[in-house]
Amino acid sequence: MSLPGTPTTSPTPMDEDSEQTTSVNTEPKRVKVYILENNEWKDTGTGFCIGEVDESKFAYLVVSDEDSPTETLLKSKLEGNIEYQRQEETLIVWKDLGGKDIALSFEESMGCDTLCEFIVHVQRNIESNISLVTVKSSDNGLGSVHDIITGPVTLPSNDSEQNGQTLLEALKILNENTSFDFLKNETIEFILQSNYIDTLISHFHKAEEKKIPKDLFLLSNIIKTLILYNQRDILESMVEDDRIMGIVGILEYDTEYPTSKANHRKYLGSKGPNFKEVIPLENEDLKVIMKKCFRLQFLKDVVLVRFLDDHNFNLISEIVMDLETCIIDFLQVGTFLDRLIELYNTNTLPDSPSIREKFVEKRKDGIRLLQQCVQMSINLDAVDRSKFYKTLVRKGLFKVLDYAFHMETDSNARILATDTIITIIEHDILLIHNVQNEDSFKQQHKLASNVKSSLRSNPHDYSTSTDSKLLSILSTILLSDRSPGLREQVVQALNTLLHPEGCLGNGEGSYDLMGRSGYESKNTSEDFPNFGYGLNSDSTNLNNYHYNGDDMNNLEAESESEFQVMEYFANFYNKIAPILFGPLIKKATTPEMSGKIEKAKKDDLLLIHLIKLVSFVCTEHDRVLSRRFILENGILDSVSELVGGNHMLQLRLTAVRCIKNIMCLDDKYYHRYMISKNLYASVFKLFQENIDKNNLANSCIQDFFRIIITECRAYQGNHHNRREENNGTYSSNVSNVRVSANNNRTNFTILNKYLVQTYGSILKKAADIPFIQDMLEIEEENQPDHSSFENSLEGDNEVSVNISSEGFTSNHLEEIDIKNVKRLHSEIEHFENDPHYSSDQLAFKKTVDQMNAST
Amino acid sequence: MMDLDKIIASLRDGKHISEETVFRLCLSSQELLMNEGNVTHVDTPVTICGDIHGQLHDLLTLFEKSGGVEKTRYIFLGDFVDRGFYSLESFLLLLCYKLRYPDRITLIRGNHETRQITKVYGFYDEVVRKYGNSNVWRYCCEVFDYLSLGAIINNSIFCVHGGLSPDMTTVDEIRTIDRKQEVPHEGAMCDLLWSDPEDVDTWSLSPRGAGFLFGKREVDQFLEKNDVELIARAHQLVMEGYKEMFDGGLVTVWSAPNYCYRCGNVAAVLKIDDDLNREYTIFEAVQAQNEVGNAIIPTKKSQMDYFL
Repeated sequence: MSLPGTPTTSPTPMDEDSEQTTSVNTEPKRVKVYILENNEWKDTGTGFCIGEVDESKFAYLVVSDEDSPTETLLKSKLEGNIEYQRQEETLIVWKDLGGKDIALSFEESMGCDTLCEFIVHVQRNIESNISLVTVKSSDNGLGSVHDIITGPVTLPSNDSEQNGQTLLEALKILNENTSFDFLKNETIEFILQSNYIDTLISHFHKAEEKKIPKDLFLLSNIIKTLILYNQRDILESMVEDDRIMGIVGILEYDTEYPTSKANHRKYLGSKGPNFKEVIPLENEDLKVIMKKCFRLQFLKDVVLVRFLDDHNFNLISEIVMDLETCIIDFLQVGTFLDRLIELYNTNTLPDSPSIREKFVEKRKDGIRLLQQCVQMSINLDAVDRSKFYKTLVRKGLFKVLDYAFHMETDSNARILATDTIITIIEHDILLIHNVQNEDSFKQQHKLASNVKSSLRSNPHDYSTSTDSKLLSILSTILLSDRSPGLREQVVQALNTLLHPEGCLGNGEGSYDLMGRSGYESKNTSEDFPNFGYGLNSDSTNLNNYHYNGDDMNNLEAESESEFQVMEYFANFYNKIAPILFGPLIKKATTPEMSGKIEKAKKDDLLLIHLIKLVSFVCTEHDRVLSRRFILENGILDSVSELVGGNHMLQLRLTAVRCIKNIMCLDDKYYHRYMISKNLYASVFKLFQENIDKNNLANSCIQDFFRIIITECRAYQGNHHNRREENNGTYSSNVSNVRVSANNNRTNFTILNKYLVQTYGSILKKAADIPFIQDMLEIEEENQPDHSSFENSLEGDNEVSVNISSEGFTSNHLEEIDIKNVKRLHSEIEHFENDPHYSSDQLAFKKTVDQMNAST
Repeated sequence: MMDLDKIIASLRDGKHISEETVFRLCLSSQELLMNEGNVTHVDTPVTICGDIHGQLHDLLTLFEKSGGVEKTRYIFLGDFVDRGFYSLESFLLLLCYKLRYPDRITLIRGNHETRQITKVYGFYDEVVRKYGNSNVWRYCCEVFDYLSLGAIINNSIFCVHGGLSPDMTTVDEIRTIDRKQEVPHEGAMCDLLWSDPEDVDTWSLSPRGAGFLFGKREVDQFLEKNDVELIARAHQLVMEGYKEMFDGGLVTVWSAPNYCYRCGNVAAVLKIDDDLNREYTIFEAVQAQNEVGNAIIPTKKSQMDYFL
């Protein structure tokens, strides 16, 4: 069918009076009228088209000749089941009931729009069986795309008496109606406005009672089809109180598994999870939302798990998330959280055993409730999450945790409490810290307005004590609770809390930190010039170390956060690490801990966690700070002992890995310490035990040799250069970078030399292992060169150490077996003289020294 | 000691296993697994099995169709978990068999046996759903770290989950890896678990973002250098269950029928007899069963009360 052309000449507008004389429903629009005759479109003239409804409610499309307005070119009734096609922008084409093909070609698409609207109006109000469809050529230019604009919609029968026939028909209709948006939307409207779903549910009960499988499977398919409509309101209406059981009941039947039936109703009923209210909810809407949320998840995860496609799945997830956001919002207003936290306010329990039991159970449920809240919040927007967690902390989350960790005996409850903490600190490690800071800020603020002159009167900085409190609670749990699951979680929490990057405040945390810092400094600069940044103005933070308040006020916000981090870690090494690593410290720190520690020293599974933490702090923390702690407390000696000792192999290998990690740090102090204290002996003992075996221990130690030889080879590559420029001495005249590179490589060459010299006989037994062969060869190659190992040792020994005068505590002095130690350097001396340590590290070191001196 | 047979029976029925039992199972498994080498030696006759992916019921069929662990020796090439709805039961069942019949079953690590991957592809969620916390997942991940990286049958057939690595071209070199770690993002250990064979002239980048593509040349070199005649691996879905490549120098074995419950593929296992003859057994996915409890209709049901 060739498309007729549009009118070419621009017409003069219709006279205003002629418009008034005819009773029209639409503005006249200029068109050409075509009639199909003998397969050809015949132009029958140009005129103005109006849509007209007469007194007897008949609707017409009328075109009057533009040259003689009284003459009618076309008057076509909208009637029966005529389908009007809008082709492209400007054409309306149809076949009237008499079989005549008619086309109106509009001058402008606006005109076409107007008449299309008229047709839609007529369809809706007068002739419901006519329809209007659009036909457009598809994007690729081939073929065409049809869409229904309006027309009669076939809907399923909503008769209360249903049967196999009506259901089959309904299924067909519902499926067909998905093909066009118009039909789909009309159907959705019908589903939502009628009680169709209830009709289906009531028939379901009948069909189940009468055992009519055909109907049951049809019903199931109908519900699934409705779910595929992927429409939020339909989904939500399905999980309403009076429908949910019917819906999941219907979905128990599945044509894919015709011989089996699921038991969703039984699960949702008495046997399954119940909706529990620990604290009665005042808000009925909230209850409805909570149930809806649970049921939608149940549909998504259980009932429809195999059925949903990505679109459905995403939509349900989206709805669930909306509802969750809503729930979390709701919980924060009103007194709900306050009433919940109140449960943990008292230490006195009711006298009556039965009431007491109930109360304890209620507290346990409260912990579970909080954990679920926090779990739910994981999917929320980061900002909403922060807001919620802050609210929790402000309302007294710590009371609950205190209770869980100190009073509650059920490991599961403690696991949930730990989980709650982990979720919060993993979201923003500084959040708890910051909220507590806010409090202390407010306290001080209040104080300041009363006593403007003196601000240094806050004796207990709550923020630091909270940080320590959390770390020390976790450390104590790790050492005392034997539940393996709890330990896993506590270790994860410790790892998060002790991760320096987390503490430097990435993402949310950083934004938050900066934001609040700005707020505080603004206030302080105007009203309280001496107040500083809240945190650092109070010197109790850093034990006995006093910072100069003026200096601190000059710091940028960024260095303030750095300072916070330093303070935080200094505190960790001062107070927490001695407890946490107690079982690895040679001498028990406090008598009351010693019993526990003796026990812990025999707990291999605990020791595995602790040794992993040692690896972690050595690799991740400020080197100077962590190394000092590790070396002064003889931690590596303990680690080495565990490699050789009578322990489970998992632990012994974990200890080897710890030694490997520390070796890989390429840190000369560690290297020298381990050589001088002969800490590799146990590794070789383990190696001897496994020398001929094809097992993990053997591989673990082969890897140890591989690291050494790889590093030595890398050093050999630079070796030539080094000798030319440097003549093998560590002169501080040479540029730092060069010295650093060479020094580092030297660590491994020295280690290789040492190992070959000390354990040569064992190594030779395993010379078939390529790496060991290399180790022996490298050592032989170096032999004629000079015995640099001896040299370096002796040379440095001359520098010899007066340990106590260099600032070691007497405690430390006892730790070092001077006779056997070929101590290469005094550590303290190196901190001062070593060119690698920049001045800021030195400054920090001094801080630490002072703190150490005072403890 | 635990009553392994009882646990095995429970697992086969898809019943809940207590957290504590899982912990003890995992600990015992560690002890057993750490006595094995990175590439463990296995004797013929043996049946090689590919990816399982948490399809417990199909795993049971696998045992049924191939003789059962009481009579047959097995090597599993990894990917026990993720995708399917019974990752935990499938993995624990294999561990139990390993504990019960240590020399009948060899478990090799697949690229899904890692913390990172299982957090995304289903195992982690499954555990949280079944236990309300992730501890059991942690215990299992700890065991993953102890799994062997490969196996060698009669010094003639090299078994690995993914494929070869340009960094380590001999079995002896693979022995020098300290495998007790999360699978790294690069390096030999990663490649063994991630690489794929492909018609390429030399080592090429893998579209997976980890491991390499390797071709006939690399396979021939490896066979020659290590004096083996076949590389058996899994890692890629094969609609027919198995696929030989490079003149029979490499075979992919896939043992998860109707993968993800929708791929429509069949599964296979490969039996190697004493003369190193290869015999493939094909099997299809299990149909739903009548009893309500053991239907394949998956249940992501949460066991707990809810408060929200």
